Amino acid sequence: MERVSKAFGGVRAVSEVSFAVADGELIGVMGPNGSGKTTLFNLITGALVPDGGSIRLRDRDIAGWAPHRVCAEGIARTFQLVRPFAGLSALDNVRVGRLYGRARGEARAAAAEAERLLTLVGLEGKAHRLPAQLTLIDKKRLELARALATSPRLLLLDEFMAGLNPAETESAMALIRRLQGEGVTLLMVEHIVWALMDLSRRIIVLSAGEKIAEGPPDAIAADPTVIEVYLGGAGGSARRA
Amino acid sequence: MSGRRSRAVGLAAAIALAAVPLVVRRDDVLNFLFLVLLSVTLAESWNIVAGYAGQVNLGHAAFFGLGALTTRALWVAGAPVLAAMVAGAAVAVVFALLVGAAAFRLRGAYFAIGTLALGEILRITVGNVRAEISTLPAATIAGYRLAHRYYLALALAAVSVVVVAALGGSRLGLGMRAIREDEEAAEASGVGALRLKLLALSLSTALAGLAGGLFAYYHISYYPAHPFSPTWTFDSLLITFIGGVGTVHGPLLGAVFYVFLKEFLAIRWVDFHLLIFGALFVAIVLLLPGGLVEAAARLRALTRRPGQAC
Repeated sequence: MERVSKAFGGVRAVSEVSFAVADGELIGVMGPNGSGKTTLFNLITGALVPDGGSIRLRDRDIAGWAPHRVCAEGIARTFQLVRPFAGLSALDNVRVGRLYGRARGEARAAAAEAERLLTLVGLEGKAHRLPAQLTLIDKKRLELARALATSPRLLLLDEFMAGLNPAETESAMALIRRLQGEGVTLLMVEHIVWALMDLSRRIIVLSAGEKIAEGPPDAIAADPTVIEVYLGGAGGSARRA
Repeated sequence: MSGRRSRAVGLAAAIALAAVPLVVRRDDVLNFLFLVLLSVTLAESWNIVAGYAGQVNLGHAAFFGLGALTTRALWVAGAPVLAAMVAGAAVAVVFALLVGAAAFRLRGAYFAIGTLALGEILRITVGNVRAEISTLPAATIAGYRLAHRYYLALALAAVSVVVVAALGGSRLGLGMRAIREDEEAAEASGVGALRLKLLALSLSTALAGLAGGLFAYYHISYYPAHPFSPTWTFDSLLITFIGGVGTVHGPLLGAVFYVFLKEFLAIRWVDFHLLIFGALFVAIVLLLPGGLVEAAARLRALTRRPGQAC
């Protein structure tokens, strides 16, 4: 994406942000509250229309497309606060992604594929449960399976680990590594900095809507601008991740 | 109920209903069953948009009314009744697409209020433009056969049940239910919400338009504004909720129960029955959101495992 901006009234939520994601990469996005991370996701997935700039997926400018077209083109997402289809079984939740996403599977094959994805994310044996009967982490797994079912070229995870206990965070990280192993390209927003540092090869840091740093985790951890944003100018006590 | 068993039960019921005019030679029975079948069609059609796609359309009577208006005009002018009914359905669908493109920008309660207003505007307009009662010509009355109307109603009710059943297991039906649960998440999963909602509305209003045509074919005389009355919308809503919203069997069970009770109560207390239905509706939404279908399932679960609550 190049020089993408979005303002709400007078507030510049995202301001001229540019970066690129290569196939198979896992990129982390971090930044303090209100720095524009979720707005960035909403711009990429079409939930918001950017005021300026371009968002390209394999040479097609998808900026301003409707969310379902963005999804069909190959960008899927999970939500910061989980949003499974409450009235549908876990299997049907995933089937929606399979039948309407980029893959547009045939109905009979879709059920088998949905079962496979449920197993991949660790929900085997829970295909016929309703989301209300699942724990938070299982709901997150379900949303992940639904997003994967659309066969995304790029998968956006919005605070996938928020609200999980340490053990669940570990298993969520293991799951993300497994996806990486399967060749899924990931862009993830995360508040749990150590997890992000651990998983990502490259990190983008946003502050007040602007990209203030980009680079490998070590470099980010040592970057004085990042430290200032996070620790409020106490530059001397640099924190190592 | 399993798919095969419910198909067998449905077929048996259809055959039994088809035999009624041959066995029972009483017009009051046929008239009553006609009303049940018309209610099944209207409720199932309302169920497509509200139960599957999750959009509470309170202007359903407008499409029923448009079907009636168009069919009556063409049929009385000499067109074959089936052609006139198809034309009535087409008018309802075209109007639905025009309205839907605008109304689907509204969400939740605003969509409901918007469609209610639309239905009322049409009712008042038709009431003013076509204020005089519409009565069939004497020659048509002389050749009137109740059984024809009855069979048409049976066919239409069967078609609407089959349409909703087919929708339930299909890709389209799943997409509609995803929209009902969470439109934004559905969009993010690749579901084109506006297109699917318009499709649901088209299917729904085509059936409502046909039902309106049937109404025009059935009644010897009525005020043209009558089929635009919000009663038709709220009957469909109550039947669907009483039976089980978003299910195939719900509107079927609901229609039988509702029409029976309504006729029974209306004979005794005239308009007082509305109050009872209001209370019944509130009770069902609060205590039994799945309607009669859920009640039947709970009862089955209870009888299968006696002594154990489910």
